[in-house]
Amino acid sequence: MTTLLYTHPACLEHDTGFGHPECPARLTAILNVLKTTPFAALEWRDAPQATDEQLTRIHTLAHVERLFARIPRHGHYAIDGDTVISPQSGEAALRSAGAVCAAVEAILNGEANNAFCAIRPPGHHAESHQAMGFCLFNNAAIGAAHARQIGGLERVAVIDFDVHHGNGTQAAFEHDPGYLYISTHQAHIYPGTGRRDERGVGNIVNIPLMANSGAAELRQVWQQDIEPALRQFQPQLILISAGFDAHYLDPLAGLNFSEDDYAWLTRHILAVAQDCCEGRVVSMLEGGYNLPALAASVAAHVKALMEIHRAAQRSLIKDILERQKAKRNA
Amino acid sequence: MYEFLHYQVRDAMTADPIAISPHTKLREVEALFEAHDFNGVPVVDDQWHLHGILTKFDLLKAFCFDAHALIPHYDEIMEQTAETVMTRTPVSVEPQLPLSRLLQKLIEMRTKSLPVVENGRLVGIIAREDVLKALRRAAIQHEIPAHEELRP
Repeated sequence: MTTLLYTHPACLEHDTGFGHPECPARLTAILNVLKTTPFAALEWRDAPQATDEQLTRIHTLAHVERLFARIPRHGHYAIDGDTVISPQSGEAALRSAGAVCAAVEAILNGEANNAFCAIRPPGHHAESHQAMGFCLFNNAAIGAAHARQIGGLERVAVIDFDVHHGNGTQAAFEHDPGYLYISTHQAHIYPGTGRRDERGVGNIVNIPLMANSGAAELRQVWQQDIEPALRQFQPQLILISAGFDAHYLDPLAGLNFSEDDYAWLTRHILAVAQDCCEGRVVSMLEGGYNLPALAASVAAHVKALMEIHRAAQRSLIKDILERQKAKRNA
Repeated sequence: MYEFLHYQVRDAMTADPIAISPHTKLREVEALFEAHDFNGVPVVDDQWHLHGILTKFDLLKAFCFDAHALIPHYDEIMEQTAETVMTRTPVSVEPQLPLSRLLQKLIEMRTKSLPVVENGRLVGIIAREDVLKALRRAAIQHEIPAHEELRP
């Protein structure tokens, strides 16, 4: 089984205006890397559009309708100082949320162990009733709710390593113990939420990091906070809000993660997934605004997602060889 | 302001800056400070490897009361070399560091300028004035006003 890659050309058509950091070139940079030989084993799939039913498990119908009413026929419309939409933004947002729902279904069907959704607009700031922070629909929360509904899952975890706190995802989950939300983010930057004492019904784990935190702090909080919380929760599916703006070259924040740190974190999440839920992981793009750093970080992340299969195959082959050997000896 | 996010240190720094050797006399350093509006000057060897930075504070530091003399001797101190008072292992930045991060760093460290180093060699100096100029340049770029739908 390979890793699935969900994306759609419409995600490249969501135009945020001249010079905006959340730009189509982000996705182009990512897809160009994922088209190279080391990623030949990825199975590419077109993202479908999310349905109203999928969206309204998280968002109010009023939010969905207002968003579509605001989409301009030409040019741009600024929802707030950060969040700009254009004629194709509606379809891009539907494909992004739809990608995560389709990936969740495929993984729960056993079509693959894990999937990466190369999508934009991102989602984790979007709240039930409003778009904000470059985000229109909350892709992670919509995917998690879809897994609960169609898979009948009781426990779904979202790990969010974007440098900003996922206020929208937290708000969607904080009253429901069937969800676990774990977020690492830089303290005191946008959107201002994500303090350690915001704990929901014991199902929210916020890990604010001070500016300039890097590899050492990441490893420390993995051991102290993330892994224990995950293992205690015993998720049946893990979603990853994979933002890569904690990279040391990212212009929007001040943490110092590297590509190697993203690979390390991904492998450790997969190891827990292997123990708790047969390796079922759906990851999706959130932020990341330095294009070379973003492409390299996504490459490291997806490579780690793909490697788990090779490791599993190797151990399977080893098993078979050993059984044959035992048979011969008998 | 989006444009500012694309700027790197290399876009705003003073390239090929004036630098001194570890053996430069403090008298010459003071003359340099008199002639130019520097806050500090990088200290390099023949290969332009960065050895330290000598700021006006470092120069003043040479005159602090210490065990050597009851009162500092001006001429004697000015004969000392840069390496005796410079800040060793100075904080430096890479040319590809986003300018937004450099700004943060200047504020956190309350410093006025930082040396820019690439492959161990000094390639520039970046100061508060350079960042202000870059911010001004970025603000001139096109921005989308809130709640404005552009006509076809």
